[in-house]
This record gives sequence, structure tokens and C-alpha cells, in this order.
Amino acid sequence: MTKRTHSNKRDRDASDSRTYSVWKCLVPPGFRKFATGRRTTLAAILILAALILISALGPWIVPYDADKLKVTDRLQGPSGTHFFGTDNFGRDVFSRVIVGTRITLLLGLSISAFSLLVGLPVGAICGFYDRVGLVVMRLVDAMMAFPAIILALALMAIFGKPGVLNVILAVGMVWAPRMIRVVYSATLSLRENTYVEAAKALGMSSTRILLRHIAINLLSPVIVQATFTFAFSIMEVAALNFLGVGIPPYVASWGGMMNEGRTYIIRAPWIILFPGLFLATAVLAFNLLGDALRDRLDPKLRRTV
Amino acid sequence: MLSYLVRRVGGMVVSTILVITITFLLLQLIPGDPATVMLGANATPEQAEQLRKTWGLDQPIPVQFARYFENFVRGDFGQSLFHRQPVLTIIRQRAETSVWLSALALIVALGIGIPAGILSSVKPNSLMDNSMLLVALAGASIPSFWLGLMLMTLIAGKLGWLPSSGFTSVLATGNLANLKNLILPAFSLGFVNAALLARTTRSSMLDVLNADYVTTARAKGLRQRSVIVKHALRNASIPILTVVSFTFASLLSGAVVTENVFALPGIGSLIVQSVLKRDYPVIQGIMLVVALLYVLINFVTDLVYAMLDPRIRYR
Repeated sequence: MTKRTHSNKRDRDASDSRTYSVWKCLVPPGFRKFATGRRTTLAAILILAALILISALGPWIVPYDADKLKVTDRLQGPSGTHFFGTDNFGRDVFSRVIVGTRITLLLGLSISAFSLLVGLPVGAICGFYDRVGLVVMRLVDAMMAFPAIILALALMAIFGKPGVLNVILAVGMVWAPRMIRVVYSATLSLRENTYVEAAKALGMSSTRILLRHIAINLLSPVIVQATFTFAFSIMEVAALNFLGVGIPPYVASWGGMMNEGRTYIIRAPWIILFPGLFLATAVLAFNLLGDALRDRLDPKLRRTV
Repeated sequence: MLSYLVRRVGGMVVSTILVITITFLLLQLIPGDPATVMLGANATPEQAEQLRKTWGLDQPIPVQFARYFENFVRGDFGQSLFHRQPVLTIIRQRAETSVWLSALALIVALGIGIPAGILSSVKPNSLMDNSMLLVALAGASIPSFWLGLMLMTLIAGKLGWLPSSGFTSVLATGNLANLKNLILPAFSLGFVNAALLARTTRSSMLDVLNADYVTTARAKGLRQRSVIVKHALRNASIPILTVVSFTFASLLSGAVVTENVFALPGIGSLIVQSVLKRDYPVIQGIMLVVALLYVLINFVTDLVYAMLDPRIRYR
């Protein structure tokens, strides 16, 4: 497999140098090599680009108003007029799936950002200062004893009402400890490097070493973890919405649509089929991207789970 | 071995205390007055006062915590606000379904994941390996509740081969045939977890299969099967075991949604109902039970590690 990909890549590079392409002008060579290195990576990037485009243009490209009720059209199967059929209120499933893409990606992005903002400083400080690490990491491990969805559910109950911000906080608090763990163990191994020793010998302050030498090297594992966090969090948000405790039900979301479709599952399985397909595709794309980034940025991590 | 055991037990005790502390503190996060939040907006001030008294919510937080801890040690997890029963009783009633579901799902996950991983690793980069990896990756990306719903439509709905929902206790009725209701849920839950298991099995088997002692075993003329099972699999089993213990935790988590999909009367559907009804004592109780179970599983995993690999005991 590896051999084949290599020769493929060489062929492709060779043909690239002969032909002039827009692709080559616009895309930096490092990224081009990364994106075309494996077929699955390219597929993931294309899927994600499509999803981003869909979420940006969503409301303008849909054939119907996603929230418009038309009871006379309820529970119609997929057809030329309604690509993905209609739901129990006669709303167009295709339009709702398209419109729901934006909220899915935004929530995934916010949750990854949240876990990053918490995980990077806390993890790095814990990894660098033993005494802090000893205490905080115990707590972090204990946080991870709660299964993700149960903790998220409990937090939603504590926050009181469904809402976008509450979902971000609830799921973010579930994934932040996992990010802390990743940053912590990366910092532990980074600080053993000779250049850190040298910096210490030169009399650099710990803060400066942390900011200038450690932080920059943490980027690779953090980016990889953030990509996986994205995949997990959109799945978890969908599960919360499916259980009816996520964002309010009147907002079109993939999980919420699947929840509403449950009653009609035998009569109208398409209400559930299509949002689920979109969700699975999005999660798959992020998982593939995460795998590719991990192999690319941090070959040492490849073998660990 | 003894000092290893002592250290592990110590670690477990610390984790247990921390888990209790976190569950306690999380409930302090409820914005505003917990009594009013729990009783709803229509509660009279007298009712709220009454609840604060019985729950000791009028006491300072350290006192409340001491009381909470004491109750925990006595096995008192409080009273459900909705069911008017002790939390532990309700959890015990619901536990059977969840245990059956998790156990069956674990069997599915292990039964698919480990053989798939071994088959992949024996001939790496073959057609078999690549298609297996692709299936595993897709499996890991499919939401288990969606898979459950789709199986339900197809197998229970269209074909009518298996019941689509519900479950009656096996212990109470003594009827093992009731487990038929759990086949679809267990499969949809287990399949998703098999994916990760297959990937880990493959990668740790690949690591081991390249080791010198495997080459030696082959050179001695041992049969392929004996090389794979006796030499490779046992040494590859530590990372696999880690994932199995993860899998168990993720089954507990996944069961929450799966139980809801298939209307199974387990812990998972209990917590969702409790969240919707703001039944905080039950939520707290479930969090505690599940997290402590996780701590226990980790402890057992550590012990099994030490049995599989004697070197670990001296670390």
C-alpha cells in the first residue's frame, strides 16, 4: 500500500510540473503534498470543503424554506420535488439537512475551540510544573471517569435549559479534560529535550521556556486532538439533540430531525436516514483528516491510540 | 506484587473520593437557588424552605459535603424527587437491562473487532486488510443511535425478524428468550465499538509480528496458528486490553442513547428521563454509580495488566 501510494504520488507530481494548473497556483505546496498524499485524505478535504460551502450558503441554496410547514405535503417519500422527502409537518427534509449543516459545524468548532482554550494552558502548566500537575491531573482523570454523554446530560440538566451556549459549555467541559491529558503528556516528553535543558542552562525563566520552546511544539498534537474533538463533539451534540436536551427543537439540526422522525420511522424512514448520513459523512471526514494530520505532524503518535 | 497492589488500591481510593467530590460540586453549579430550580417556578416559599431543610441546603458547603459523603458511605444516595423512592432502589431496578445490553454489546464488539484486527494484521495491506480498515473507519463514524434506528426499520419493521423495542426482565420471569429484544440494540452498540477495537488489535499485532521472537518462532517451524495465538496475541494484548476497558466505558455511555432508541428500561433511559424532569438526586446517583464502576474497571484492568506482563509490577 505504502509503496503504491509513493509511486502514485511521484507520477502525479511529475505530471503536475508539466501542466500549469490553477490548483497549483492557489494551493501552497506543503498542503498540496499533504492533500494528495493519500486518496482518503483528499476525499476528507473535499467533503469538508463541501460541508463548509453548504453551511456558508445554506439558506440561499435550499429549494424550500426549511421551517415552512405545509401539512398537505406531510410524510412524502423522496422524489424530484422533495429530494429527501418531507417530514410530519410537511417540511422539506433536504432543505432542513442543508440548513442544519451550519449549526453542526459551528457547534463543533466552538467546542473544539473551548477545549483548546482550556486544555492548552492547563495541560502545559501541569506538564511543566510537577506539583501543580500532580494535583490537577488527578482531578482531570477523575473527570474522565464520567462517560462523555452522561456528563454532558448532567451538565445540561444543571445549566437548566436547552440552548446553543449551554451545549457548547456542556460538551466542551466533557472534552476539555481529554485535551488537557494530551497536552500534559506531550509537555512531559517535550521538557526532556536537550534544547529545554540548554534554555534552562542559559538562565531562561520557566515562563519563557514554556512560551517560546514548549508551546510552539505543542501545536502538532493539539491540532490533531482538536480534529478528533471536532468529530466526537458533533456526534455528541447530535446525540443530545436526539435525546431532546440539546439546542431548542425549533432550530433545524441533524440530531433534532432524527428525534422528530422517530415516531414515523416505519412510515417515513427518510426523515432519519438523510440527516444520519450527513452526520456520519461529516464525522468520517474529520476522523480521516485527524488520522492524516497525526501521521503527517506527529509520526511518533501514530502507534498510540 | 503486593506493593503494586497496595499502590493500585490507594489510587482507586483517591479516584473514588475525587469522583464523589466532583459529583457533589457539579450540583453546586446549578445557577440560582437549587431548591426553587428543583421544585419549579410554581413552588411556594414554604415548600422551598422545607426542601432546603430536609436536604440541608441551608448549611455551609463544607458541612453539606461532609453530610453527602457520610450518606454515600452508608449507601444512601438520596430520594428521587419524581419517583418518591430511594435513588439506589430505582437504579437497582433499572440495572439489569443495562448490564445485559452492555454484556451482549461487549460480546459483539469483541467477537467482531478482535478477529477482524488479527485477520488484518496477518496479511497487512492486502485487499482484506484495506477493506477491513475502511469498514472499521466507517463503523467508528456512524452514530450508534442512527445505526440502531436503521436496523430497527429494516429488520424489525420491514422484515419483522426481531422485536423492535421494549424488554422484560430475564431474572424476574426466568425467560431467557427475552434477550431476543436486545439483539438489535446490542448489535448497533457493539458494531460501532468493534471498529476501534479492530484498529487497535491490528496495530498492536503488527508491532509484535515484526519482533525477533516471532521470527524465531517461525524459524523453529511452529505452525502459523500457534505463532499468532501464543506468541503474538498474548504480547499484543496489553494495548488491546486498554481498549477493551475503554470499550466498556464507551458502551456504558453509548447505552444511554441506544436504550432510548429501543425503549429499553435501563439506566440510560432513566438518566434521560431524570434530566428532562430535573430529578437531580437521580442524575447525581447515576453519575456516581457509573463513574465508580469505571474506576473499578480501571482497577481490574491494571491488575490484569500485571498478570499478563510481570514487568509492569515493578514500575
